[in-house]
Amino acid sequence: MTTITALGIVLLILMVAVGGKQGWTAFLSLILNFGFLYFAIVLIAFHVPPLFVTITTGIIILAITIFMGEDDLRTTVTAFYAALIVTAILIVLIFVVEHWAMVQGFGTEDSDDLEGMSILIGISYFKVTVTVTTLSTLGAIAEAAMAIAAGLTEILQAHPEVGNRQLMVSGMTIGRQIIGTTFNTLFFGFFGGFLALFIWFAGLNYSLGTIMNNKIFVAEMIEILISFVGVLLPVPTTAWIMTRRRHKIADKQDS
Amino acid sequence: MSHGWISRRLPLFIILLVMGAVALLFTSHNQRFYRRPIARVEAVKAGTVQRTSDQFKNIDHEHNQTLTVRLMNTRYRGQRLQVSNTYSDSQPMDQRYHVGDQIFLTQLRKRHHQLSANVAGYKRDTVVVFLSWLVCLMLIMMMGRAGSLALASVVVNSLLFIIAIEIDLKNNGQHVLLIFGTLAVIFTVVSLLLILGPTMKMLATVAATLLGTFLALGLSLLVFSWTHERGIYYESMQYVTQVPRPLFVAETLLGSLGAVMDESSDIIATLFELKQLNPRIGRGALFMSGRNVGKSIMGPLINVLFLTFMTETFTSSLLYIKNGNSWGYTFAMNMSLGTVQSLVSGIGIVLAVPLVSGFGALLLGRQKK
Repeated sequence: MTTITALGIVLLILMVAVGGKQGWTAFLSLILNFGFLYFAIVLIAFHVPPLFVTITTGIIILAITIFMGEDDLRTTVTAFYAALIVTAILIVLIFVVEHWAMVQGFGTEDSDDLEGMSILIGISYFKVTVTVTTLSTLGAIAEAAMAIAAGLTEILQAHPEVGNRQLMVSGMTIGRQIIGTTFNTLFFGFFGGFLALFIWFAGLNYSLGTIMNNKIFVAEMIEILISFVGVLLPVPTTAWIMTRRRHKIADKQDS
Repeated sequence: MSHGWISRRLPLFIILLVMGAVALLFTSHNQRFYRRPIARVEAVKAGTVQRTSDQFKNIDHEHNQTLTVRLMNTRYRGQRLQVSNTYSDSQPMDQRYHVGDQIFLTQLRKRHHQLSANVAGYKRDTVVVFLSWLVCLMLIMMMGRAGSLALASVVVNSLLFIIAIEIDLKNNGQHVLLIFGTLAVIFTVVSLLLILGPTMKMLATVAATLLGTFLALGLSLLVFSWTHERGIYYESMQYVTQVPRPLFVAETLLGSLGAVMDESSDIIATLFELKQLNPRIGRGALFMSGRNVGKSIMGPLINVLFLTFMTETFTSSLLYIKNGNSWGYTFAMNMSLGTVQSLVSGIGIVLAVPLVSGFGALLLGRQKK
């Protein structure tokens, strides 16, 4: 048995033991997300336009993460709409920023790994970078939108008569409570993954100017900063969607 | 939103806007602070185009361009010279330059009154500064005090990270796990101190986070040794300048720390709230509520880390597939380490749920008589 299989089985057992049915669906969502991510790579390798792959895979991954993570419809549908709007805004921002930064493809630090490879593959690495950056923020967007939507659903259930303006304010308050720890999740997630690169930079005495213009470092900074934007934008967006949709779902559930 | 909100935030907004403009202006005019020559592209002349193909039938085109650039620093500042550049359609390590781009040059020298140089890369610092400013602006305007504290915690953690790397280098890569294990403890205390303040709640969250993270790591290392690390290809790790295995374990530890912290603080916050609403609540009830909170956030959290770890490997996986490798080999050489990282972090996130709930229940709950 390989280590990956063994770790996967341990994770599955723990998830079912701790979360029951919800743990099982969460594990399934992880597997599905992996499948669609890998499928996205294969599609791009077959020269399907990367932007098309980004949008379809993005919507699928958001749907999997949100609808398989929670059962309450008011929470999930609201979170899903908010996540879609935020993702659309982010794709535009990513496009502009990546075009400005030109960090596609590989840096000189990758040369060792690329030895013997043919890197001219006839697919625009720029478009692939837009795909990568978009997909890497989806988890953060979904999580933030779900947290806000779940909190607001709770408030609406306890006080169905609460005004729209109060609902917006409550959304921002919940946002304030989650923002510190969510930033930590992303910060450590990214920086943990690039420990080796930072040791390389420090070990070879890269100057600040070199690091700030280094292709890989800048690409990494863009990813982390975009994902910070990706947890900030869902806060007002989700609250706003909730004010629009509050009656729709409440009425449906009553009838 | 309300009128008061706008008038209260307006001065701050203007200050931030001015600061952003100054920072952007500085980074687009900071060439004199660079020792490397920087030049601005003033004219571009397209040259020949050559079709390339490899044994995997990947077709691309290589273009030549001649750039007329004007130096912005060094002692030749203001002088013009011509450099040539080659780029391809896919632009993996090369890139196409346009009029107005700022580029770095190397091997700048003067021979027979003629300057010559090679293109060495693109100036990118302005983008990083712009995006950082955008995040700061949004954080402070939308989140106020909580946003500033989140920002402070990111800055302090970055500084600690740099210090730890310096210590690691001083030790020539010995004791990697000791150094970054200690760093993980310091990170947890500092981050939670900034977010929660010096309270009982913070102490409980710190204890729960560390317990969950290290227990998951221990359990995973047990699994590693049972399975003899079959299917983990340390040689596929990128940018390694030290022994890869401890570095990988340290990366995994730090990567999962934030998520476990996130989850622990959510659960502990709920338990404290419940205790406040009903001071006589029992341990069993507290434990079950903690578990309920935990099981609904663990799925999304694991997905957050999974997507950050796995998309990292997207570009190189694509390259492997386009170089005629099988899907299985592509996975093994690019994604196996990311998958292991996701799974270990996942185990940490799940284990933390009963640990944190139990810990909180013991701390807050009344024992049944």
